[in-house]
Amino acid sequence: MATQTQGSGGAVSAVLMAGLAGLVVSLGIAFFNLLSGGHSAFNTGSDGVSWGLPVVNYVFFALTSTGLTLVASVAMTFGNKAWYPIAKRCVWLSLVTLVAGFASLALELGHPFRMLWAIPLNAQLVSPLNWMGIFYAVFLVLGILKFLRIHNGDWNSSTSKQIGLAALVTELLAGGMLGMAFGAMAMRPMWYGNLVPLYFILTAACTGAAFAVLVTCLSYDSEETMPAQVRTLMRGPLPTAFAGLLGITILVIGYRTVIGLWSNADGLQVWDAIVASPWYWIEAALLIGAFFLLLQRKALALASVMVIGGFFIDRYDFVIGGQLAPLFKGSWVPDLIAYTPSTTEWMLTLLAFSIAFLGWALGEKLLKLDAAPQD
Amino acid sequence: MAKWGMVIDLEKCTGCQACSTACQMENNRLPGENYQDVLYYTEGRQPTPTLKWFPRPCMHCEEPSCMHVCPTKATYKTEDGVVLIDWDKCIGCKYCMIACPYGVRFYTDEKPLIEPNIKQVFKGDGDLSWNPPYKGPQQDPKHGVGIQPNGVVSKCNFCYHKISKAPKGTPDLDESNPELVEYVPACVRTCAPKARYFGDLDNPNSQVSRLISDKQGTRLLDHTGNKPQVYYVSGGGAASGAVPGTRSNKKA
Ligand code: SF4
Ligand code: SF4
Repeated sequence: MATQTQGSGGAVSAVLMAGLAGLVVSLGIAFFNLLSGGHSAFNTGSDGVSWGLPVVNYVFFALTSTGLTLVASVAMTFGNKAWYPIAKRCVWLSLVTLVAGFASLALELGHPFRMLWAIPLNAQLVSPLNWMGIFYAVFLVLGILKFLRIHNGDWNSSTSKQIGLAALVTELLAGGMLGMAFGAMAMRPMWYGNLVPLYFILTAACTGAAFAVLVTCLSYDSEETMPAQVRTLMRGPLPTAFAGLLGITILVIGYRTVIGLWSNADGLQVWDAIVASPWYWIEAALLIGAFFLLLQRKALALASVMVIGGFFIDRYDFVIGGQLAPLFKGSWVPDLIAYTPSTTEWMLTLLAFSIAFLGWALGEKLLKLDAAPQD
Repeated sequence: MAKWGMVIDLEKCTGCQACSTACQMENNRLPGENYQDVLYYTEGRQPTPTLKWFPRPCMHCEEPSCMHVCPTKATYKTEDGVVLIDWDKCIGCKYCMIACPYGVRFYTDEKPLIEPNIKQVFKGDGDLSWNPPYKGPQQDPKHGVGIQPNGVVSKCNFCYHKISKAPKGTPDLDESNPELVEYVPACVRTCAPKARYFGDLDNPNSQVSRLISDKQGTRLLDHTGNKPQVYYVSGGGAASGAVPGTRSNKKA
């Protein structure tokens, strides 16, 4: 078992403190507002947007978890040994990002505790949400089992490999089901399409890679202090694969936009509004900028932060955009619904990011996330 | 078993909102959250725009997408064709609100539409969202009837507390029949120009079935495949109402 030398851990400690502060602040404000006003602390509404920013957070982090499992599987399932030095970190992070997503969702649901019995006891087999819940729950168990295995040094036994493979398959099914939850909605053309699960998995891989690169950069003070294997990976295969993935995704986003603008289908008029917003162009600048940084293998931490920011906007535009053209609501509802998230909703975003980064930093401090098999 | 359905005659409807008001009282609805609503929209441009209106309850679809997406089966369809919500099973995920093409569902934990917040003025007991000064005697959460609890979704239930008590085999629940009047949904019973009909769609001799075939009943957004059990009929004249073709209310 090779435990590689880490830097002084200054960045990890800083992230840990920031995550802790974010957790305390966001939980404090969110709980105060939710306990005093219930969900009227959100700017969601029956005549407006039903799934607001808390659902964006959930989709963002749940898919990041799927993406991290994909990154971890490069070494652990597909046998590319060069990727081992970040595998354990990715497995851990896939668990904490999923918890981060669930936390935001739980505070959004009307009855989160009722869900725990109502879904298993009454499972609606034709509901994508039901299957998404099942697959993510099964993944959580498999992911924990896999992490315990590798934490105890068992990287390569056949049981360990089988758990890893099963975890990968359930994560792909879960991310795909989340895509189907939107893609099956023929009544909302902005979402509808049989390739949405694929789009979700592709973009999941991008955010997963971004988190993997970012926390790896943060784990070591600089490239020079990285162990040789990590440095080799970070200077070659990882940014190259990441850039390729991102390049394809940028193309897909471009085509989605053009199709949305081109088509006259009722409900797609929202694309005009999306493209008219500066956020769309900020997303484009972040993703394209990151693509070139990755190609040149420069400023990887910055590139990954740009990808995380860009895809957060993308998830927002996707989840919220699909609801902006109102259903049959009459003339007192505008042509396009105006929605801005409330402070409480932003606090759930802060909460999810805090859980993810605090969870990672704790893992980095306590769980030897840089461990890799020796052979 | 009956398959309950409704026919709304757009030629007779005056857009008076008596149905919405009756529904609000019958079902303890908060302002702006009427199960039954009349939507107003403008057609045509200046100088000859016309104001149109369109009464819209839940369609109680034959293929209800709201039910298919509900992860807990809280939304279900009864044997007599009514789509209901079991408030004890609903987790408030709001997926049904996303999936209903007709926008007829309500989550009540939201910013109030008008001030003062009625829910604060008449605070609900226990889990109930509010405590209306006048309330119907029935509270049946398993069928989504009564005062809406917090954290769940609600919608038109075709006044299930009334229609479910109607004598079996009744072809039409007609408010002009004194023996049936208590079983008639509130909106149908109250409609002054008698624009609403309620009956068994599976019975070819019911008045609703005959109206649909004689006057070529149409359904809202039929392309969604949800197959509403609410049909609209109209005389087709320039002055009469029509089923809007798109969901958006774009001013033409
Ligand atoms: S109109 Fe909407 S809520 Fe009513 S049954 Fe159809 S899909 Fe469900
Ligand atoms: S909000 Fe309630 S009724 Fe609607 S889909 Fe979720 S659990 Fe079902």
